[in-house]
Amino acid sequence: MIKILAACGAGVNSSHQIKSALEQEMGNRGYEVQCDAVMVKDINEDMISHYDIFAPIAQTDLGFNINIPIVDCGPILYRIPMMADPVYNQMEETIKSLGK
Amino acid sequence: MTHLFNEQATFVSDKKTQLEVFKEVSQKLLDLDLVTQDFEKNLIDREKNYPTGMDLEIVNPLLKNIAIPHTEPEFVKAKLIVPIKLNQPITFSNMIKPDELLEVSYLFMILNNDPEGQANLLAMIMEFLTSTSPETLTDFFTLTDTKEINQFLEHQFKINN
Repeated sequence: MIKILAACGAGVNSSHQIKSALEQEMGNRGYEVQCDAVMVKDINEDMISHYDIFAPIAQTDLGFNINIPIVDCGPILYRIPMMADPVYNQMEETIKSLGK
Repeated sequence: MTHLFNEQATFVSDKKTQLEVFKEVSQKLLDLDLVTQDFEKNLIDREKNYPTGMDLEIVNPLLKNIAIPHTEPEFVKAKLIVPIKLNQPITFSNMIKPDELLEVSYLFMILNNDPEGQANLLAMIMEFLTSTSPETLTDFFTLTDTKEINQFLEHQFKINN
């Protein structure tokens, strides 16, 4: 099981869309993925330490070093392959690199 | 499914800045009891820290850029998409590249007091913008009658979802 932390400003629209898109697409590609959607301001070092991959909308400064792989997922929000597929591919490569 | 749009909460704005249009719309949404008193302040703060502009020219050069301003569920009393046609384009930062500025001609403000619900309003908006033909969208972007805007969107979102 790969745990992904999706985050956006309000924790309500974008991060939830990224959560459902990642769970569906990574599931289709044969990976068991669980994704949580939160507000950026609620993230701390302890929270992020419980996840394998960080999936923000755009480059995000959390005020501390992030020690897990980061995949910027904003382009997924467009819901068209031209934008979303490169992100899915990068996510898949990142999952593989975890060696879980 | 309940209505995703409300004619009274459909706007055509002559405002020239984010702040002006956010204040105008927030006040009317407050009068309609769709948001709380603190909505306006939180909407403004959130847009500053986490911008919501979306570049649609990369989808199709014929399309105008949009933004999807929104804030946390606690300041919102409904699940609704609030269309706001801007008669003059307003600058927004790009949601997925915050350093980039976009000239935005339409806002789809999202009121969402139910983030865990099945209907993802943002997904529906993007589905609408990427699956409707650019010619139809271009016509839609010129509508200035809130009733027509509302009817068009209600109809189009029914087709898509």
